[in-house]
Amino acid sequence: MNEQSSKKITFSKSTLFSLKAELLRKQEEVLKKKDLPQHKLENFTPAKATDKNKHENSELAPKQLKDKLKAVDIDELEALRKSKSALEKKAELYKHLSDGAGQSELTDRFLVDFKEKKEKGESKLVSDQRNIVPNVVPITNNEDSGEWVVFTDCLGRSRKCLQSDLELYRQRDKELMRLLPGYEDEEKGESEQSSSSKEQPFLVQKTKDYLQSLRQKWEEKEKELLAKDKDIHYQDVLFDEARMHGVGYYSFSTDEAERKKQMEDLLKEREKTLKAQKHAEEIRKKRDELVAARVAAAKARQRMRAGLPPEDPEEKKNEFTKCLLEFLNEKKNEADTKAKEEEKRLKEEREKERQKEREAYIREWDVGKEGVEGKVKKFRELTQEEYVEQQRSKRINEFAPLEALDSRKSNLTFDQRGHKIVAETSFEKTVNKTWDDVRKSIANQGREVTPPPPTIGEINEQKGLFFTSKKHDKSIKYKNFVKADEPTPIQNELSDEDEDIRRPSKRKNENNAEIPPPPTYEYYGPVPKTSKSKTPFNSDIREAFAQGTKSLESKSNGIHLSSHYDFTFD
Amino acid sequence: MSHPALMAALHITLTYIYCFHYNRKCKFLIKVEMASSEVSVSRKIIEDLSNVEFDTSEDVEVIPTFDSMGLRDELLRGIYTYGFEKPSAIQQRSILPIVKGRDVIAQAQSGTGKTATFSISILQSLDTTLRETQVLVLSPTRELATQIQKVILALGDFMNVQCHACIGGTNLGEDIRKLDYGQHVVSGTPGRVFDMIRRRVLRTRSIKMLVLDEADEMLNKGFKEQIYDVYRYLPPATQVVLISATLPHEILEMTSKFMTDPIRILVKRDELTLEGIKQFFVAVEREEWKFDTLCDLYDTLTITQAVIFCNTKRKVDWLTQKMQEANFTVSSMHGDMPQKERDNIMKEFRSGQSRVLITTDVWARGIDVQQVSLVINYDLPNNRELYIHRIGRSGRFGRKGVAINFVKSDDIRILRDIEQYYSTQIDEMPMNVADLF
Repeated sequence: MNEQSSKKITFSKSTLFSLKAELLRKQEEVLKKKDLPQHKLENFTPAKATDKNKHENSELAPKQLKDKLKAVDIDELEALRKSKSALEKKAELYKHLSDGAGQSELTDRFLVDFKEKKEKGESKLVSDQRNIVPNVVPITNNEDSGEWVVFTDCLGRSRKCLQSDLELYRQRDKELMRLLPGYEDEEKGESEQSSSSKEQPFLVQKTKDYLQSLRQKWEEKEKELLAKDKDIHYQDVLFDEARMHGVGYYSFSTDEAERKKQMEDLLKEREKTLKAQKHAEEIRKKRDELVAARVAAAKARQRMRAGLPPEDPEEKKNEFTKCLLEFLNEKKNEADTKAKEEEKRLKEEREKERQKEREAYIREWDVGKEGVEGKVKKFRELTQEEYVEQQRSKRINEFAPLEALDSRKSNLTFDQRGHKIVAETSFEKTVNKTWDDVRKSIANQGREVTPPPPTIGEINEQKGLFFTSKKHDKSIKYKNFVKADEPTPIQNELSDEDEDIRRPSKRKNENNAEIPPPPTYEYYGPVPKTSKSKTPFNSDIREAFAQGTKSLESKSNGIHLSSHYDFTFD
Repeated sequence: MSHPALMAALHITLTYIYCFHYNRKCKFLIKVEMASSEVSVSRKIIEDLSNVEFDTSEDVEVIPTFDSMGLRDELLRGIYTYGFEKPSAIQQRSILPIVKGRDVIAQAQSGTGKTATFSISILQSLDTTLRETQVLVLSPTRELATQIQKVILALGDFMNVQCHACIGGTNLGEDIRKLDYGQHVVSGTPGRVFDMIRRRVLRTRSIKMLVLDEADEMLNKGFKEQIYDVYRYLPPATQVVLISATLPHEILEMTSKFMTDPIRILVKRDELTLEGIKQFFVAVEREEWKFDTLCDLYDTLTITQAVIFCNTKRKVDWLTQKMQEANFTVSSMHGDMPQKERDNIMKEFRSGQSRVLITTDVWARGIDVQQVSLVINYDLPNNRELYIHRIGRSGRFGRKGVAINFVKSDDIRILRDIEQYYSTQIDEMPMNVADLF
């Protein structure tokens, strides 16, 4: 009993608040309802109290009144009925739960701790009720004519009933008392408890058994699948998955022969459907034609009756314009299709070219495979620039000239002496450089645009042959085989986000490795990185103007110009 | 070397280290900008399923219906019976290029039908009369490989396709026998697949397509070498298809090593989160409070089905035990469990027998259970990509979903970083969270 001690109710404080709010709302509702005339106590109780005889004699009258009052609101009545039935159901559930407090699986679902409630009820009953209940003495209401009595039942509720019915109620009360757990005699309680403690594992056991049976079923299915070499289909691997399928879903049999038959049947049905559809379509067409003919005839008759000439000429005129339109449309379509074809042809050609290039392309990971060897022999000599870039990409950043950190323009810093040092050190490093190292190094470099150096051991050496310079790489990677006449992506990017002028200049700085040095570069040497001076911002210009005018003003303050001073020569 | 320059250099280095620490933020910023400038023309297309702005290659055709894709009849029937009616954005764009034989890099939001995309393409390009392995699909987890097998079998039900799940943790002999029987498609995990290839049980000569599902994971440190090993056994210039919801730039960068002029269908990262998945956080002051919060939420969890993510297997075990001690019904799964148990738990969860699953990132990618509508990050994921994948376990194929993140005070910063990175919104959890399903 102790191990299944009362359920710990876990709740968030928020739920308490909402509960409280709901309670307040209900209370307010009740208060409002109370104000309604039919619910006014002072209207009702005195009549009941004083007109007792009347009540008895003509029980119909107040009932009628009641009915009248209620009939006003049929909806309310209906709602009442509904709520009553709901409450009854609820009571049933409640009873079930409180009877088997803690044993039912359902208890987990509710916040009410029936077990605790039950225990409390027990103790209460034991302590209070046992003393009180025997004292259930009908308290005769002196005001009444002795027919109405008030008594307290075992739950401590005071109830009012007719004297004659008192016996019956007490009987019921006793029954209720007996039903209450606290009042069961010891043996009975024990036996019940033992049964209930049996019941709980029983319920758990049941679900466990169910799961176990499911597992067994799945396992058998799997064994069956593995046992023989047979085709596996969707139904075999579905394993009771709860999944929504399309409307046309049909769960085939897992038996191969049966499945085949079902498949054939399905095909037959499908053919039938198609036939039926076709047939229906034909019928519809015929009917439409008939209807159209009838309508035409009716129109013609109408015209005849009205004394108008038959419609033909007009129709012909219409037809003529129609024909003309059609003809024009046709021409236009023809031209369109021609243009499209031309475009398509061009596209295809381009595609063919690209396909050729694709076929010629050798993936790095394919190098060394059968059939690839022959192609690989084509050795491509690197240009000086590409070689330099390749070496640079292998370089450890610490050994880079300082300028390389903020500007990649520095072709000049890469002289032969420096190159040797870099080559030596970078060799060691790259040999056991892992992918992680490369990523880290890229992250550290930040602006590094080049892809990481080769990583996988065996083809590491060959890598340089095919993936070389940053520039070259890029064209392979992203503009693979894109022809020169096509717009370069950078331009596209710019046109896409039409932002202010700052954007392009900023971008240029970021990716400046892509941009060849200006023609005057060698002459001027490396310029400190200030693109600002090249493209002054509007604000700068304005400022300059402002300052200019200011200085002019200050000058003009000092000098008195003659009224006919000619500004043009100033 | 002047002092200021040195300081500047140091500062830059420190900044990058800092950024690297926070999921390489800066690197991403730069790289992603580069990607947008280099990759291709951007095109704005608005779909009903998801507002997608693809950064696609040029001339990627959009085909609005399955009927107009020129697929074979039996496959079409399979597609419709499986429940697809109209192709999703990614399906409209990538099926045709894959069928045509091009290398494709396809990115799309979680739960928008990526698996079906390549499954349909595979089935269309199969020769079912040839009883040899023609397509190899690799995925990072066994559960995902099994799921892909299921999808291929479902879509190809009318084609009598044979697809085998070649995964670790299963009987080798049975695996060998199944492969010997003749499989059109093999969906597996790299380790077992490589084993089978090396044993010459899985013959590669007829393989014409390699699909890497969750490509970014497959090409990450842990898997890349294994993928390389497998790739080395494939015929040269095999068609390669990469699929994932997240494709960081460094992955895109390396694709030229094993792909030829791939067609890219990409999603900008600020459009990677789905509108249908509402994201919230619950601020907890101490780690212990997470458990109480979870208990409070339990009733909400069981409305449909829920997945709770922890960062370690040990924590999964711990949390499961604690929940069960508190009389909550939960099941759990992680990579250290025997495969049999993993299978059973998957089946129970898929069939709806269990409703709350506590798990690790083994469950983060690709697993599709339609009824899952709530994901809880008991611990925040270790990187941004995982966040997308984790919350993507809910809100499958246009359904609604809710993601709740438990954050300690120092975690909030990370959450805000994620929020900013994906331009999404993560609000504090409202009271009526249950109404959102």
